[in-house]
Amino acid sequence: MTEPSDVPEAPEPAEPWRRLDGRMLLIHPLETLVRFLPALLAIFVARLGSQGDDRWELIALPLILAFGVLRWATTRYRIGDGQIELRRGLLNKQTTTARLDKVRAVDLTARLHHRVLGLTRVEISTAGSTHDHLVLDSLRIDAARILRAELLHRAESVDPSVTGLPAPTGEPVPEGEVPQDAVAASHPVEEELVRLDPAWVRYAPLTVTGLAGAAAVVAFVSQVLSRYSEERTVFRDGASWVAGLAWWVDVLFVLAVVSFLAVAGYVLTFWGFRLTRNRLGTLHSRRGLLTSRETSIDASRIRGIRLDEPLGLRLAGARRLKVVTTGLAHEQGGGGGGSDWLCPPAPASVVTPLATRIRPDEAAVSGRLTPHGPAARRRRLSRAAVPAVALSVALVVARTVWDWHPAVLTLVPLLIVAAVALGLDRYRALGHAVTPEHLVTRHGSLDRQRVVLDRPGIIGWTVQQSPFQRRAGVATLVATTAAGAQHYDIVDVPVERAYAVLAEVSPELAREFR
Amino acid sequence: MEATDHDDARAVLREPTERVSRRAILMWTIEALVVAAVLLAGQVVWWLVDAAPGRTAHWVVGSVWLVSAAAYVSVMPRWRYRVHRWESTPRAVYTQTGWLWQERRIAPLSRVQTVDLERGPVAQLLGLASVTVTTASAAGPVRVHGLDLPVAGALVQALTAATASETDDAT
Repeated sequence: MTEPSDVPEAPEPAEPWRRLDGRMLLIHPLETLVRFLPALLAIFVARLGSQGDDRWELIALPLILAFGVLRWATTRYRIGDGQIELRRGLLNKQTTTARLDKVRAVDLTARLHHRVLGLTRVEISTAGSTHDHLVLDSLRIDAARILRAELLHRAESVDPSVTGLPAPTGEPVPEGEVPQDAVAASHPVEEELVRLDPAWVRYAPLTVTGLAGAAAVVAFVSQVLSRYSEERTVFRDGASWVAGLAWWVDVLFVLAVVSFLAVAGYVLTFWGFRLTRNRLGTLHSRRGLLTSRETSIDASRIRGIRLDEPLGLRLAGARRLKVVTTGLAHEQGGGGGGSDWLCPPAPASVVTPLATRIRPDEAAVSGRLTPHGPAARRRRLSRAAVPAVALSVALVVARTVWDWHPAVLTLVPLLIVAAVALGLDRYRALGHAVTPEHLVTRHGSLDRQRVVLDRPGIIGWTVQQSPFQRRAGVATLVATTAAGAQHYDIVDVPVERAYAVLAEVSPELAREFR
Repeated sequence: MEATDHDDARAVLREPTERVSRRAILMWTIEALVVAAVLLAGQVVWWLVDAAPGRTAHWVVGSVWLVSAAAYVSVMPRWRYRVHRWESTPRAVYTQTGWLWQERRIAPLSRVQTVDLERGPVAQLLGLASVTVTTASAAGPVRVHGLDLPVAGALVQALTAATASETDDAT
């Protein structure tokens, strides 16, 4: 498919420039239109009240179209000389270059209008301290897939010393290995790791993301409705009808609406979720009902996995799986972009074996973890209790000074019990383990996560101690990494244990400073 | 005070060997005084702008920050100097920083991406510099503040030489 022209002797690569697909001319005006729809509506409404007849939209539409043509005409990209170049702009010419061996992941995102036209948006994430993203909006879907294959598989099939594969540190290259022949590399065999079972949507209302999604929809709808509610008696009648019902009916009603929305969100995001792995070890996920998203993550970029067990999912015996990798969009936010999903909320009986297939280390994925001891428990308890006690005192003061309703005092025992339960649960979550290949850490109650980090992926250590931690004889051991959240913490371990973990994972460093 | 702070820690990893320059105390003091001066300016502006007859609130607020600023200016620099230590070997950099909140950082040189030497206005005045060593992780820059300029220069040179040979992308 591509000849390896990575030898840096060629002064000017003869690779031809490629353009975006012509059909993006339709995409761009459409997106612009949608983006300015509120403005257009405002203009339209404003005109209803006035007498003037300036036809703004008649000027705007050709302008938008012209911008689209300009963008198509001035955007070009090419692959050659071991790098991908993207050129944009007419007056302010901009050339973005990224070395192919720095390409970390390739995302194909096709929103509904893209899909109607058979197009997709390609986002290429590269390594580097800054967030470098090359975006090609849009390419034909098959052209995009070919481009992705060129970007990812080529980097694998050339000399590892050029691609910067972390061979010297003994990065565990899973299963695949570098292929013997380049022909096989361009036609990799895919194995399916997981496929969405529609029954899993039952977990949707149990996650915070599902609820947040539902809340966002409710907020948006209520805002829209509130604009018209004064004039429309329908809404007022509806509202007063809801207010007139018994409180538990209201609660049920809200629960039903929220659950429905969360399920809808789950379906929209994860419909048709499928995770595959090719023989090079590249993970490839596909998902989405209306907006389809394809993410490919090079095996050499993966530094571990993260098992999420938020409270709701945990109670239902479910969890979800994410990948810890370098160079994904929104990596600082812990995967806000959502391209790091390896499995949507699903039963533990599915997720745990899946995790074991991706990181074949039973002890790390599901083994027992070392608890952090009594000092850690005291700290969890006090940190949960202090705000609860402060709030209780405030309530008592409010009752006595401002004469609040006595019912507020019933909240006090509830608060205290909840705080203690939270503290104990947070302590139960704390744990760590060192296996021959991984460092494991787990923490959190409402948002519990267990991170299985590849030991070679750890590129530094920090041992932190607050004054309180020093007095309690504990420390927080932070393993820094170039992947995922950039650092993973082992919270409140006894100081000696923190250094013991450090010494076990990085013996050469510990020996240096012993 | 640190003698007890680090007793158990020493059991496993010793402190870094090198101390920072003694003039770092002066640098931190001046920087703390600058913060205090900004607070004072705020206080003066409030005094001039406030039209209310009573000045009690001014005296209360002013004395509170004055006392805490005095404590901060006199305690923080010395405490910080006693904590701050660094060490650089052919394999790794190792630092200990902070005062109330303390931390130790280790970065293997094989994972170092950039080495920066910085000199703020106060540091320039005192002939000091700080060295920042960054790795591919956004969370792990290793910083040494308050080094004598020649020491900092030598450190940068040693680190650059050690990391230049690395062809790996260090992630």
